[in-house]
Amino acid sequence: MEPFQTGAFLTAGVLIVTGFWAIIMMDNLLKKVIGANLVGDGVNLVLIGIGYRPGGLVPEVTHHFHASAVPSTFSHFLAFNEFAELASYPLPFALVLTNIVIGASTLSVMLALSVVLYHKYQTLSVQKIFEAMEED
Amino acid sequence: MFDYILLFVVALAAIMAIVQENLYKSIVILGFESFSLAAIYHFLLATDVAATQAILGSALIPGLFIVALYKTTKGRDE
Repeated sequence: MEPFQTGAFLTAGVLIVTGFWAIIMMDNLLKKVIGANLVGDGVNLVLIGIGYRPGGLVPEVTHHFHASAVPSTFSHFLAFNEFAELASYPLPFALVLTNIVIGASTLSVMLALSVVLYHKYQTLSVQKIFEAMEED
Repeated sequence: MFDYILLFVVALAAIMAIVQENLYKSIVILGFESFSLAAIYHFLLATDVAATQAILGSALIPGLFIVALYKTTKGRDE
């Protein structure tokens, strides 16, 4: 495994552990939402790090290869199989691109529910919200 | 070398965003963390993911947090 890939996995581990610690231990609701965002970032970083190939080509940049080129006929174009051997793995990119957008929308729903809880109980502390719920 | 520094910056900014008491500062640090993560995606050869993460993570998500924090601290000094 490449050193930069290992560093990316370690950073993703730090992000996930920090996010879960914030979700479990923090008292403020907005800090819990920040922790959920950090967990999502860590999972995305793991998935991107899987597809990394050191020194590889970017698979979205398609001017490296020509579809009708056979190997070693065009000097500046690559055939598709040569390009596929050199490029990084593009499947996790499509998944993570979806995951970022869905993460933003679920984050907005979490923030809206936090605002609703604040308007009902006049506080963002989870401890005080539970105490007020037991009084009802 | 710069990419390893970015990995360290992301890990440090995540911990700082959680430990920080002031929520406005915490949100700004979260946006900085997302932008550094977009640069890491660029170094990991995922340029389309980097563009989406840079737009959503450093502009849209801190904006939503600022709006929610403004609506939950309105009328009080904090």
